[in-house]
Amino acid sequence: MNRIFDGVFVDRGDFFTRNMVPGRRVYGEDLARSQGIEYRRWDFTRSKPAAALKNGIRNFPLHEGMKILYLGVASGTTASHFSDIVGLEGMIYGVDISQRVLRQIIPIAEERGNIAPILGDTRKPEEYAGLILEKVDLVFEDVASDDQIPILIRNCDKFLRSGGFAMIAIKSQSIDVVKSPKEVYRECVGELEKNFEILEKVELDPHEKHHLMVVMRKK
Amino acid sequence: MRAYIVSTIVGVFAVDENNRLLSSKAFPKEPREAAEKLKLSEIEMLDEERFVRDVLGKKGFREFIFGYRKAGVKHVEPNSPAEQFVKDNVRKLAVDAKIFSNPADLNQFLTKATIELAKVHIKKSIQRDSLVVQANGALEDLDKSINIYMERLREWYGLHFPEMDRAVSGHEKFATLVAKFGDRENVTDADVEGLKKNSMGADLEDEDIRMMQSFAGKILEMYKLREDMVSYVEGILKKVAPNLLDVAGVSLAMRMIAKSGGLARLSRMPSSTIQLIGAEKALFRFLKGKGRSPRHGIIFGHPLIQGARDEHRGKLARLVASKMSIAAKLDFYGKEYRGDKLKKELTEKAKTIVSSKA
Repeated sequence: MNRIFDGVFVDRGDFFTRNMVPGRRVYGEDLARSQGIEYRRWDFTRSKPAAALKNGIRNFPLHEGMKILYLGVASGTTASHFSDIVGLEGMIYGVDISQRVLRQIIPIAEERGNIAPILGDTRKPEEYAGLILEKVDLVFEDVASDDQIPILIRNCDKFLRSGGFAMIAIKSQSIDVVKSPKEVYRECVGELEKNFEILEKVELDPHEKHHLMVVMRKK
Repeated sequence: MRAYIVSTIVGVFAVDENNRLLSSKAFPKEPREAAEKLKLSEIEMLDEERFVRDVLGKKGFREFIFGYRKAGVKHVEPNSPAEQFVKDNVRKLAVDAKIFSNPADLNQFLTKATIELAKVHIKKSIQRDSLVVQANGALEDLDKSINIYMERLREWYGLHFPEMDRAVSGHEKFATLVAKFGDRENVTDADVEGLKKNSMGADLEDEDIRMMQSFAGKILEMYKLREDMVSYVEGILKKVAPNLLDVAGVSLAMRMIAKSGGLARLSRMPSSTIQLIGAEKALFRFLKGKGRSPRHGIIFGHPLIQGARDEHRGKLARLVASKMSIAAKLDFYGKEYRGDKLKKELTEKAKTIVSSKA
Protein backbone atom coordinates (compact mmCIF):
# COMPACT_ATOMS: atom_id res chain seq x y z
CA MET A 1 0.00 0.00 0.00
CA ASN A 2 1.67 3.24 -1.12
CA ARG A 3 0.28 6.64 -0.32
CA ILE A 4 -0.02 8.84 -3.40
CA PHE A 5 -2.24 11.65 -2.09
CA ASP A 6 -3.65 12.52 1.31
CA GLY A 7 -5.77 9.50 2.24
CA VAL A 8 -5.37 7.85 -1.17
CA PHE A 9 -3.33 4.68 -1.54
CA VAL A 10 -2.29 2.57 -4.49
CA ASP A 11 -1.55 -1.11 -4.69
CA ARG A 12 -0.88 -2.94 -7.96
CA GLY A 13 -2.78 -0.50 -10.12
CA ASP A 14 -5.78 -0.26 -7.80
CA PHE A 15 -6.68 2.68 -5.59
CA PHE A 16 -7.76 2.51 -1.99
CA THR A 17 -8.97 4.68 0.87
CA ARG A 18 -8.90 3.80 4.55
CA ASN A 19 -12.23 2.36 5.59
CA MET A 20 -13.80 4.69 8.11
CA VAL A 21 -16.26 1.99 9.16
CA PRO A 22 -14.18 -1.20 9.19
CA GLY A 23 -15.93 -4.30 8.01
CA ARG A 24 -18.58 -2.39 6.07
CA ARG A 25 -18.89 -2.16 2.31
CA VAL A 26 -20.78 0.65 0.61
CA TYR A 27 -21.27 -0.59 -2.95
CA GLY A 28 -19.88 -4.13 -2.97
CA GLU A 29 -16.25 -3.01 -3.31
CA ASP A 30 -13.32 -5.20 -2.24
CA LEU A 31 -11.84 -4.73 1.20
CA ALA A 32 -8.10 -5.10 1.72
CA ARG A 33 -5.99 -5.27 4.84
CA SER A 34 -2.48 -4.00 5.22
CA GLN A 35 -0.57 -3.70 8.50
CA GLY A 36 -3.73 -3.94 10.56
CA ILE A 37 -5.57 -1.21 8.64
CA GLU A 38 -8.57 -1.91 6.49
CA TYR A 39 -8.88 -0.28 3.07
CA ARG A 40 -11.70 -0.08 0.55
CA ARG A 41 -10.91 -0.47 -3.14
CA TRP A 42 -11.89 2.62 -5.10
CA ASP A 43 -13.39 1.24 -8.30
CA PHE A 44 -12.24 3.41 -11.20
CA THR A 45 -14.97 2.06 -13.45
CA ARG A 46 -17.64 3.35 -11.08
CA SER A 47 -16.22 6.55 -9.65
CA LYS A 48 -14.95 9.46 -11.72
CA PRO A 49 -12.24 10.75 -9.35
CA ALA A 50 -10.82 7.21 -9.26
CA ALA A 51 -10.89 7.15 -13.07
CA ALA A 52 -8.94 10.44 -13.00
CA LEU A 53 -6.42 8.85 -10.62
CA LYS A 54 -6.12 5.89 -12.97
CA ASN A 55 -5.41 8.28 -15.83
CA GLY A 56 -2.63 9.91 -13.83
CA ILE A 57 -4.11 13.10 -12.41
CA ARG A 58 -1.47 15.13 -10.53
CA ASN A 59 -3.66 17.63 -8.67
CA PHE A 60 -5.96 15.95 -6.22
CA PRO A 61 -6.94 18.59 -3.68
CA LEU A 62 -8.52 16.45 -0.95
CA HIS A 63 -7.21 16.46 2.58
CA GLU A 64 -8.16 15.36 6.04
CA GLY A 65 -10.57 17.74 7.77
CA MET A 66 -11.73 19.33 4.52
CA LYS A 67 -15.23 20.64 3.98
CA ILE A 68 -16.60 19.61 0.61
CA LEU A 69 -19.72 20.57 -1.29
CA TYR A 70 -20.62 17.68 -3.56
CA LEU A 71 -23.14 18.51 -6.28
CA GLY A 72 -24.84 15.38 -7.56
CA VAL A 73 -23.86 12.91 -4.82
CA ALA A 74 -26.24 10.28 -6.16
CA SER A 75 -26.11 7.04 -4.20
CA GLY A 76 -22.85 7.87 -2.45
CA THR A 77 -20.30 5.64 -4.17
CA THR A 78 -17.78 8.42 -4.67
CA ALA A 79 -18.90 10.34 -1.58
CA SER A 80 -18.05 7.37 0.63
CA HIS A 81 -14.42 7.54 -0.49
CA PHE A 82 -14.33 11.30 0.02
CA SER A 83 -15.75 10.60 3.47
CA ASP A 84 -12.86 8.18 4.15
CA ILE A 85 -10.35 10.84 3.10
CA VAL A 86 -11.71 13.84 5.03
CA GLY A 87 -12.31 11.88 8.24
CA LEU A 88 -14.37 12.73 11.30
CA GLU A 89 -13.58 16.44 11.35
CA GLY A 90 -14.22 16.87 7.66
CA MET A 91 -17.63 17.31 6.14
CA ILE A 92 -19.31 16.48 2.87
CA TYR A 93 -22.44 18.37 1.97
CA GLY A 94 -24.00 16.14 -0.65
CA VAL A 95 -26.74 17.68 -2.78
CA ASP A 96 -28.88 15.73 -5.19
CA ILE A 97 -32.17 16.41 -6.88
CA SER A 98 -33.41 12.83 -6.97
CA GLN A 99 -35.11 11.38 -3.92
CA ARG A 100 -34.60 7.91 -5.35
CA VAL A 101 -30.81 7.99 -5.08
CA LEU A 102 -30.71 10.09 -1.92
CA ARG A 103 -32.69 7.34 -0.24
CA GLN A 104 -29.67 5.11 -0.73
CA ILE A 105 -27.12 7.50 0.73
CA ILE A 106 -29.00 8.02 3.99
CA PRO A 107 -27.93 4.77 5.68
CA ILE A 108 -24.35 5.44 4.54
CA ALA A 109 -24.47 8.95 5.98
CA GLU A 110 -25.94 7.63 9.21
CA GLU A 111 -23.05 5.28 9.87
CA ARG A 112 -20.32 7.74 8.83
CA GLY A 113 -21.18 11.00 10.53
CA ASN A 114 -19.47 13.28 8.03
CA ILE A 115 -21.88 13.21 5.10
CA ALA A 116 -24.81 15.62 5.14
CA PRO A 117 -27.33 14.54 2.49
CA ILE A 118 -29.44 17.36 1.07
CA LEU A 119 -32.39 16.95 -1.27
CA GLY A 120 -32.16 19.99 -3.47
CA ASP A 121 -31.78 21.42 -6.94
CA THR A 122 -28.21 22.53 -7.59
CA ARG A 123 -29.55 25.22 -9.90
CA LYS A 124 -31.07 26.90 -6.87
CA PRO A 125 -28.29 27.13 -4.29
CA GLU A 126 -30.27 29.59 -2.15
CA GLU A 127 -32.70 26.78 -1.31
CA TYR A 128 -30.12 24.80 0.63
CA ALA A 129 -27.87 27.66 1.71
CA GLY A 130 -29.16 27.47 5.30
CA LEU A 131 -27.92 23.91 5.63
CA ILE A 132 -24.38 24.59 4.55
CA LEU A 133 -22.65 25.75 7.64
CA GLU A 134 -19.56 27.35 6.21
CA LYS A 135 -17.52 28.24 3.18
CA VAL A 136 -16.16 24.99 1.82
CA ASP A 137 -12.65 24.08 0.69
CA LEU A 138 -13.70 22.13 -2.36
CA VAL A 139 -16.72 22.04 -4.64
CA PHE A 140 -17.01 18.81 -6.58
CA GLU A 141 -19.60 18.56 -9.32
CA ASP A 142 -20.82 15.49 -11.13
CA VAL A 143 -24.24 16.28 -12.54
CA ALA A 144 -25.25 15.21 -16.01
CA SER A 145 -26.90 18.36 -17.25
CA ASP A 146 -26.40 20.83 -20.07
CA ASP A 147 -26.01 23.69 -17.59
CA GLN A 148 -23.38 21.99 -15.48
CA ILE A 149 -20.88 24.82 -15.98
CA PRO A 150 -23.20 27.64 -14.76
CA ILE A 151 -24.26 25.39 -11.87
CA LEU A 152 -20.64 25.05 -10.77
CA ILE A 153 -19.95 28.76 -11.09
CA ARG A 154 -23.02 29.77 -9.10
CA ASN A 155 -22.35 27.32 -6.31
CA CYS A 156 -18.70 28.31 -6.10
CA ASP A 157 -19.64 31.99 -5.91
CA LYS A 158 -21.85 31.22 -2.99
CA PHE A 159 -20.09 28.49 -1.05
CA LEU A 160 -16.42 28.20 -2.05
CA ARG A 161 -13.86 30.07 0.03
CA SER A 162 -11.36 32.18 -1.87
CA GLY A 163 -8.35 30.07 -2.77
CA GLY A 164 -10.55 26.98 -2.54
CA PHE A 165 -10.66 24.27 -5.15
CA ALA A 166 -13.25 23.09 -7.62
CA MET A 167 -13.44 19.84 -9.54
CA ILE A 168 -15.92 19.05 -12.25
CA ALA A 169 -16.59 15.99 -14.36
CA ILE A 170 -17.75 17.46 -17.65
CA LYS A 171 -19.98 15.09 -19.57
CA SER A 172 -19.84 16.23 -23.17
CA GLN A 173 -22.80 14.07 -24.13
CA SER A 174 -25.01 15.96 -21.71
CA ILE A 175 -23.97 19.36 -22.96
CA ASP A 176 -24.18 18.73 -26.68
CA VAL A 177 -24.48 15.32 -28.32
CA VAL A 178 -23.93 16.64 -31.77
CA LYS A 179 -20.61 18.39 -31.26
CA SER A 180 -17.46 16.38 -30.78
CA PRO A 181 -16.34 15.95 -27.15
CA LYS A 182 -13.11 17.89 -27.81
CA GLU A 183 -15.09 20.86 -29.04
CA VAL A 184 -17.43 20.77 -26.03
CA TYR A 185 -14.46 20.53 -23.66
CA ARG A 186 -12.80 23.54 -25.28
CA GLU A 187 -15.90 25.69 -24.90
CA CYS A 188 -16.47 24.59 -21.30
CA VAL A 189 -12.90 25.15 -20.24
CA GLY A 190 -13.05 28.60 -21.87
CA GLU A 191 -16.06 29.40 -19.68
CA LEU A 192 -14.34 28.06 -16.57
CA GLU A 193 -11.17 30.05 -17.24
CA LYS A 194 -13.08 33.28 -16.76
CA ASN A 195 -13.85 32.28 -13.17
CA PHE A 196 -11.04 29.97 -12.12
CA GLU A 197 -7.39 29.26 -12.46
CA ILE A 198 -7.28 25.93 -14.29
CA LEU A 199 -4.81 23.56 -12.70
CA GLU A 200 -5.32 20.41 -14.70
CA LYS A 201 -7.51 18.62 -17.23
CA VAL A 202 -7.73 14.85 -17.46
CA GLU A 203 -9.87 12.88 -19.87
CA LEU A 204 -11.59 9.93 -18.22
CA ASP A 205 -11.84 7.68 -21.25
CA PRO A 206 -12.02 4.70 -21.38
CA HIS A 207 -13.33 4.33 -17.82
CA GLU A 208 -15.96 7.01 -18.29
CA LYS A 209 -16.71 7.70 -21.93
CA HIS A 210 -16.73 11.33 -23.10
CA HIS A 211 -15.86 12.81 -19.71
CA LEU A 212 -13.27 15.40 -18.79
CA MET A 213 -12.18 16.07 -15.22
CA VAL A 214 -11.07 19.63 -14.61
CA VAL A 215 -9.32 20.75 -11.42
CA MET A 216 -9.44 24.46 -10.65
CA ARG A 217 -8.69 27.01 -8.01
CA LYS A 218 -10.88 29.98 -7.17
CA LYS A 219 -9.19 33.26 -7.97
CA MET B 1 -25.68 50.01 20.68
CA ARG B 2 -26.39 47.72 17.75
CA ALA B 3 -26.44 43.93 17.72
CA TYR B 4 -26.95 41.52 14.86
CA ILE B 5 -28.98 38.46 15.71
CA VAL B 6 -28.40 35.49 13.43
CA SER B 7 -29.95 32.01 13.61
CA THR B 8 -27.99 28.97 12.50
CA ILE B 9 -28.64 25.25 12.69
CA VAL B 10 -26.92 25.02 16.08
CA GLY B 11 -28.50 28.04 17.70
CA VAL B 12 -28.82 31.81 17.80
CA PHE B 13 -25.77 34.10 17.86
CA ALA B 14 -25.51 37.84 18.42
CA VAL B 15 -22.49 39.80 17.24
CA ASP B 16 -21.63 43.49 17.07
CA GLU B 17 -20.41 45.48 14.06
CA ASN B 18 -16.88 44.25 14.69
CA ASN B 19 -17.98 40.63 14.61
CA ARG B 20 -17.41 40.14 18.32
CA LEU B 21 -19.61 37.46 19.84
CA LEU B 22 -21.99 39.15 22.29
CA SER B 23 -24.35 36.38 23.28
CA SER B 24 -25.75 33.06 22.12
CA LYS B 25 -28.45 30.55 22.81
CA ALA B 26 -28.25 26.96 21.65
CA PHE B 27 -31.09 25.19 19.89
CA PRO B 28 -32.19 21.86 21.34
CA LYS B 29 -29.68 19.23 20.29
CA GLU B 30 -32.44 17.15 18.78
CA PRO B 31 -31.62 17.38 15.07
CA ARG B 32 -35.14 17.45 13.70
CA GLU B 33 -36.24 20.09 16.16
CA ALA B 34 -33.19 22.22 15.37
CA ALA B 35 -33.80 21.93 11.65
CA GLU B 36 -37.42 22.96 12.10
CA LYS B 37 -36.43 25.92 14.26
CA LEU B 38 -34.07 27.14 11.58
CA LYS B 39 -36.79 27.01 8.96
CA LEU B 40 -39.24 28.71 11.32
CA SER B 41 -36.79 31.51 12.08
CA GLU B 42 -37.41 32.88 8.59
CA ILE B 43 -41.01 33.72 9.42
CA GLU B 44 -41.34 34.18 13.14
CA MET B 45 -39.42 35.24 16.22
CA LEU B 46 -38.05 32.17 17.99
CA ASP B 47 -37.91 31.88 21.78
CA GLU B 48 -34.13 31.61 21.50
CA GLU B 49 -33.97 34.83 19.50
CA ARG B 50 -36.15 36.61 22.03
CA PHE B 51 -33.93 35.29 24.83
CA VAL B 52 -30.76 36.65 23.22
CA ARG B 53 -32.46 39.98 22.52
CA ASP B 54 -33.61 40.33 26.14
CA VAL B 55 -30.19 39.42 27.55
CA LEU B 56 -28.59 42.09 25.39
CA GLY B 57 -31.38 44.56 26.19
CA LYS B 58 -30.40 44.37 29.82
CA LYS B 59 -26.81 45.12 28.83
CA GLY B 60 -27.90 48.33 27.18
CA PHE B 61 -28.30 47.28 23.54
CA ARG B 62 -31.15 49.07 21.82
CA GLU B 63 -30.96 48.25 18.12
CA PHE B 64 -31.40 44.63 17.05
CA ILE B 65 -30.89 43.69 13.45
CA PHE B 66 -32.33 40.50 11.95
CA GLY B 67 -31.91 38.88 8.55
CA TYR B 68 -35.64 38.30 8.01
CA ARG B 69 -38.69 40.51 8.31
CA LYS B 70 -41.06 39.05 10.89
CA ALA B 71 -43.30 40.08 13.77
CA GLY B 72 -41.42 41.81 16.60
CA VAL B 73 -38.52 42.84 14.36
CA LYS B 74 -37.81 46.52 13.72
CA HIS B 75 -34.55 46.43 11.82
CA VAL B 76 -33.97 44.13 8.90
CA GLU B 77 -30.77 43.76 6.95
CA PRO B 78 -30.56 40.61 4.83
CA ASN B 79 -27.09 39.26 4.16
CA SER B 80 -25.38 41.76 6.40
CA PRO B 81 -21.60 41.38 6.83
CA ALA B 82 -22.29 40.28 10.40
CA GLU B 83 -24.67 37.58 9.23
CA GLN B 84 -22.10 36.45 6.70
CA PHE B 85 -19.46 36.35 9.43
CA VAL B 86 -21.60 34.21 11.68
CA LYS B 87 -22.47 31.83 8.86
CA ASP B 88 -18.82 31.47 7.86
CA ASN B 89 -17.68 30.83 11.39
CA VAL B 90 -20.43 28.72 12.93
CA ARG B 91 -18.01 25.94 13.75
CA LYS B 92 -15.70 28.21 15.70
CA LEU B 93 -18.55 30.15 17.33
CA ALA B 94 -20.31 26.95 18.38
CA VAL B 95 -17.19 25.73 20.12
CA ASP B 96 -16.43 29.20 21.59
CA ALA B 97 -19.95 29.50 22.96
CA LYS B 98 -19.54 25.98 24.38
CA ILE B 99 -22.51 24.65 22.47
CA PHE B 100 -20.28 21.82 21.27
CA SER B 101 -17.06 20.67 22.90
CA ASN B 102 -15.23 19.85 19.65
CA PRO B 103 -15.68 20.00 15.85
CA ALA B 104 -16.27 16.25 15.49
CA ASP B 105 -19.24 16.40 17.87
CA LEU B 106 -20.67 19.26 15.86
CA ASN B 107 -20.20 17.19 12.72
CA GLN B 108 -22.14 14.30 14.21
CA PHE B 109 -24.95 16.62 15.13
CA LEU B 110 -24.93 18.34 11.77
CA THR B 111 -25.12 15.13 9.78
CA LYS B 112 -27.93 13.87 11.97
CA ALA B 113 -29.83 17.12 11.47
CA THR B 114 -29.48 17.12 7.69
CA ILE B 115 -30.34 13.43 7.53
CA GLU B 116 -33.56 14.11 9.45
CA LEU B 117 -34.34 16.99 7.16
CA ALA B 118 -33.56 14.97 4.04
CA LYS B 119 -35.89 12.25 5.29
CA VAL B 120 -38.69 14.77 5.68
CA HIS B 121 -38.02 16.18 2.21
CA ILE B 122 -37.97 12.73 0.65
CA LYS B 123 -41.24 11.90 2.32
CA LYS B 124 -42.81 15.07 0.94
CA SER B 125 -41.38 14.60 -2.54
CA ILE B 126 -43.34 11.40 -3.08
CA GLN B 127 -46.54 12.44 -4.81
CA ARG B 128 -49.50 10.52 -6.14
CA ASP B 129 -48.00 10.52 -9.61
CA SER B 130 -45.06 8.40 -8.32
CA LEU B 131 -47.65 5.68 -7.89
CA VAL B 132 -48.65 6.07 -11.52
CA VAL B 133 -45.03 5.65 -12.57
CA GLN B 134 -44.69 2.44 -10.57
CA ALA B 135 -48.04 1.07 -11.69
CA ASN B 136 -47.01 1.69 -15.27
CA GLY B 137 -43.82 -0.30 -14.67
CA ALA B 138 -45.83 -3.07 -13.06
CA LEU B 139 -48.15 -3.17 -16.05
CA GLU B 140 -45.25 -3.43 -18.46
CA ASP B 141 -43.80 -6.28 -16.41
CA LEU B 142 -47.17 -7.94 -16.28
CA ASP B 143 -47.65 -7.76 -20.05
CA LYS B 144 -44.24 -9.27 -20.60
CA SER B 145 -44.94 -12.06 -18.14
CA ILE B 146 -48.34 -12.82 -19.60
CA ASN B 147 -46.78 -13.14 -23.04
CA ILE B 148 -44.11 -15.51 -21.80
CA TYR B 149 -46.62 -17.69 -19.97
CA MET B 150 -49.02 -17.68 -22.91
CA GLU B 151 -46.32 -18.89 -25.25
CA ARG B 152 -45.62 -21.70 -22.82
CA LEU B 153 -49.28 -22.60 -22.46
CA ARG B 154 -49.73 -22.75 -26.22
CA GLU B 155 -46.73 -25.05 -26.59
CA TRP B 156 -47.82 -27.20 -23.70
CA TYR B 157 -51.46 -27.57 -24.66
CA GLY B 158 -50.22 -28.07 -28.22
CA LEU B 159 -49.06 -31.56 -27.23
CA HIS B 160 -52.68 -32.42 -26.66
CA PHE B 161 -54.53 -30.24 -29.14
CA PRO B 162 -52.12 -28.56 -31.61
CA GLU B 163 -54.87 -27.37 -33.95
CA MET B 164 -56.25 -24.92 -31.39
CA ASP B 165 -53.10 -22.78 -31.49
CA ARG B 166 -53.94 -21.37 -34.91
CA ALA B 167 -57.71 -21.53 -34.56
CA VAL B 168 -57.75 -19.33 -31.44
CA SER B 169 -55.39 -16.39 -31.85
CA GLY B 170 -56.53 -14.35 -28.86
CA HIS B 171 -54.41 -15.16 -25.81
CA GLU B 172 -57.07 -14.52 -23.24
CA LYS B 173 -59.63 -16.63 -25.05
CA PHE B 174 -57.12 -19.45 -25.45
CA ALA B 175 -56.39 -19.51 -21.74
CA THR B 176 -60.08 -19.34 -20.93
CA LEU B 177 -60.86 -22.35 -23.11
CA VAL B 178 -58.09 -24.42 -21.58
CA ALA B 179 -59.02 -23.49 -18.03
CA LYS B 180 -62.69 -24.06 -18.55
CA PHE B 181 -62.78 -27.28 -20.59
CA GLY B 182 -59.45 -29.03 -20.23
CA ASP B 183 -59.58 -32.11 -22.41
CA ARG B 184 -60.10 -31.28 -26.10
CA GLU B 185 -63.14 -33.55 -26.24
CA ASN B 186 -64.91 -31.18 -23.84
CA VAL B 187 -64.05 -27.94 -25.59
CA THR B 188 -67.18 -26.35 -26.97
CA ASP B 189 -66.41 -23.34 -29.11
CA ALA B 190 -67.37 -22.50 -32.67
CA ASP B 191 -63.74 -21.88 -33.69
CA VAL B 192 -62.50 -25.33 -32.76
CA GLU B 193 -65.54 -27.56 -33.09
CA GLY B 194 -64.52 -29.18 -36.37
CA LEU B 195 -60.90 -29.69 -35.37
CA LYS B 196 -61.47 -31.90 -32.34
CA LYS B 197 -62.21 -35.13 -34.10
CA ASN B 198 -59.20 -35.52 -36.28
CA SER B 199 -56.65 -33.96 -33.92
CA MET B 200 -53.06 -35.11 -34.21
CA GLY B 201 -52.47 -34.34 -30.51
CA ALA B 202 -51.61 -37.01 -28.01
CA ASP B 203 -54.25 -38.41 -25.67
CA LEU B 204 -53.13 -37.42 -22.21
CA GLU B 205 -53.91 -38.48 -18.67
CA ASP B 206 -56.31 -36.47 -16.55
CA GLU B 207 -53.53 -35.30 -14.26
CA ASP B 208 -51.62 -33.87 -17.24
CA ILE B 209 -54.64 -31.90 -18.36
CA ARG B 210 -55.39 -30.70 -14.83
CA MET B 211 -51.94 -29.20 -14.51
CA MET B 212 -52.40 -27.25 -17.76
CA GLN B 213 -55.80 -26.06 -16.57
CA SER B 214 -54.37 -24.83 -13.35
CA PHE B 215 -51.59 -23.00 -15.24
CA ALA B 216 -54.13 -21.42 -17.60
CA GLY B 217 -56.18 -20.38 -14.56
CA LYS B 218 -53.22 -18.51 -13.12
CA ILE B 219 -52.71 -16.68 -16.39
CA LEU B 220 -56.35 -15.61 -16.35
CA GLU B 221 -55.81 -14.24 -12.86
CA MET B 222 -52.99 -12.14 -14.26
CA TYR B 223 -55.35 -10.77 -16.88
CA LYS B 224 -57.74 -9.88 -14.10
CA LEU B 225 -54.94 -8.22 -12.15
CA ARG B 226 -54.05 -6.22 -15.23
CA GLU B 227 -57.61 -5.00 -15.57
CA ASP B 228 -57.76 -4.03 -11.89
CA MET B 229 -54.50 -2.15 -12.22
CA VAL B 230 -55.67 -0.16 -15.22
CA SER B 231 -58.82 0.94 -13.44
CA TYR B 232 -56.75 1.74 -10.35
CA VAL B 233 -54.49 4.00 -12.41
CA GLU B 234 -57.51 5.58 -14.03
CA GLY B 235 -58.80 6.39 -10.55
CA ILE B 236 -55.54 8.12 -9.61
CA LEU B 237 -55.38 9.99 -12.90
CA LYS B 238 -58.93 11.25 -12.46
CA LYS B 239 -57.72 12.96 -9.32
CA VAL B 240 -54.21 14.12 -10.21
CA ALA B 241 -54.44 14.62 -13.98
CA PRO B 242 -58.06 14.82 -15.12
CA ASN B 243 -57.24 17.05 -18.10
CA LEU B 244 -54.47 14.86 -19.39
CA LEU B 245 -56.64 11.80 -18.89
CA ASP B 246 -59.35 13.26 -21.13
CA VAL B 247 -56.96 14.30 -23.87
CA ALA B 248 -54.73 11.22 -23.89
CA GLY B 249 -56.72 8.32 -22.43
CA VAL B 250 -55.61 6.12 -19.54
CA SER B 251 -52.78 4.14 -21.02
CA LEU B 252 -51.16 7.00 -22.91
CA ALA B 253 -51.52 9.46 -20.03
CA MET B 254 -49.96 6.91 -17.73
CA ARG B 255 -47.09 6.16 -20.06
CA MET B 256 -46.43 9.86 -20.64
CA ILE B 257 -46.18 10.52 -16.92
CA ALA B 258 -43.96 7.51 -16.41
CA LYS B 259 -41.62 8.20 -19.32
CA SER B 260 -41.19 11.86 -18.50
CA GLY B 261 -40.51 11.10 -14.84
CA GLY B 262 -43.66 12.47 -13.23
CA LEU B 263 -46.37 15.02 -13.80
CA ALA B 264 -44.15 17.87 -12.61
CA ARG B 265 -41.56 17.17 -15.27
CA LEU B 266 -44.18 16.56 -17.95
CA SER B 267 -45.90 19.84 -17.17
CA ARG B 268 -42.65 21.71 -17.79
CA MET B 269 -41.98 20.13 -21.15
CA PRO B 270 -42.64 21.99 -24.37
CA SER B 271 -45.07 20.23 -26.65
CA SER B 272 -42.28 19.52 -29.13
CA THR B 273 -40.60 17.38 -26.50
CA ILE B 274 -43.84 15.68 -25.54
CA GLN B 275 -44.38 14.84 -29.19
CA LEU B 276 -41.09 12.93 -29.32
CA ILE B 277 -40.93 11.22 -25.92
CA GLY B 278 -39.96 7.67 -26.67
CA ALA B 279 -38.39 8.54 -30.04
CA GLU B 280 -35.07 9.72 -28.59
CA LYS B 281 -32.99 7.29 -30.56
CA ALA B 282 -34.45 8.42 -33.87
CA LEU B 283 -34.25 12.08 -32.84
CA PHE B 284 -30.56 11.98 -31.98
CA ARG B 285 -29.80 9.96 -35.09
CA PHE B 286 -31.47 12.76 -37.03
CA LEU B 287 -29.61 15.47 -35.09
CA LYS B 288 -26.35 13.78 -35.99
CA GLY B 289 -27.29 14.22 -39.62
CA LYS B 290 -28.49 10.74 -40.46
CA GLY B 291 -32.04 9.81 -41.28
CA ARG B 292 -35.23 11.82 -41.07
CA SER B 293 -36.66 13.58 -38.10
CA PRO B 294 -39.13 11.39 -36.20
CA ARG B 295 -42.73 12.57 -36.09
CA HIS B 296 -43.97 10.78 -33.03
CA GLY B 297 -42.78 8.86 -29.98
CA ILE B 298 -45.10 7.04 -27.64
CA ILE B 299 -47.73 9.63 -28.52
CA PHE B 300 -48.34 7.38 -31.51
CA GLY B 301 -50.49 5.31 -29.14
CA HIS B 302 -53.14 8.04 -29.36
CA PRO B 303 -56.11 6.74 -31.39
CA LEU B 304 -56.28 9.92 -33.50
CA ILE B 305 -52.74 9.37 -34.75
CA GLN B 306 -52.76 5.62 -34.95
CA GLY B 307 -55.97 5.60 -36.92
CA ALA B 308 -54.87 8.26 -39.39
CA ARG B 309 -53.27 7.97 -42.80
CA ASP B 310 -49.51 8.21 -42.93
CA GLU B 311 -49.34 11.68 -44.50
CA HIS B 312 -51.43 13.21 -41.69
CA ARG B 313 -49.65 11.63 -38.78
CA GLY B 314 -46.95 14.28 -38.36
CA LYS B 315 -49.43 17.13 -38.16
CA LEU B 316 -51.71 15.18 -35.87
CA ALA B 317 -48.85 14.27 -33.56
CA ARG B 318 -47.99 17.96 -33.27
CA LEU B 319 -51.60 18.83 -32.51
CA VAL B 320 -52.09 16.10 -29.91
CA ALA B 321 -48.78 16.98 -28.25
CA SER B 322 -49.77 20.62 -27.96
CA LYS B 323 -53.08 19.74 -26.31
CA MET B 324 -51.40 17.29 -23.99
CA SER B 325 -48.89 19.93 -23.00
CA ILE B 326 -51.69 22.33 -22.11
CA ALA B 327 -53.52 19.59 -20.22
CA ALA B 328 -50.45 18.63 -18.18
CA LYS B 329 -49.83 22.25 -17.26
CA LEU B 330 -53.45 22.68 -16.19
CA ASP B 331 -53.23 19.57 -14.07
CA PHE B 332 -49.99 20.44 -12.35
CA TYR B 333 -50.36 24.17 -11.85
CA GLY B 334 -53.99 25.03 -12.28
CA LYS B 335 -56.00 22.19 -10.80
CA GLU B 336 -58.77 23.45 -13.02
CA TYR B 337 -60.85 21.09 -15.14
CA ARG B 338 -61.05 21.93 -18.81
CA GLY B 339 -60.48 18.47 -20.26
CA ASP B 340 -63.82 18.29 -22.07
CA LYS B 341 -63.12 21.53 -23.93
CA LEU B 342 -59.60 20.51 -24.82
CA LYS B 343 -60.82 17.22 -26.14
CA LYS B 344 -63.47 18.89 -28.26
CA GLU B 345 -60.94 21.31 -29.72
CA LEU B 346 -58.63 18.41 -30.38
CA THR B 347 -61.16 16.33 -32.30
CA GLU B 348 -62.36 19.33 -34.31
CA LYS B 349 -58.89 20.42 -35.36
CA ALA B 350 -58.00 16.83 -36.12
CA LYS B 351 -60.95 16.68 -38.50
CA THR B 352 -59.73 19.68 -40.47
CA ILE B 353 -56.28 18.16 -40.74
CA VAL B 354 -57.56 14.81 -41.92
CA SER B 355 -59.93 16.34 -44.47
CA SER B 356 -57.34 18.73 -45.92
CA LYS B 357 -55.38 17.74 -48.98
CA ALA B 358 -51.75 17.02 -48.21
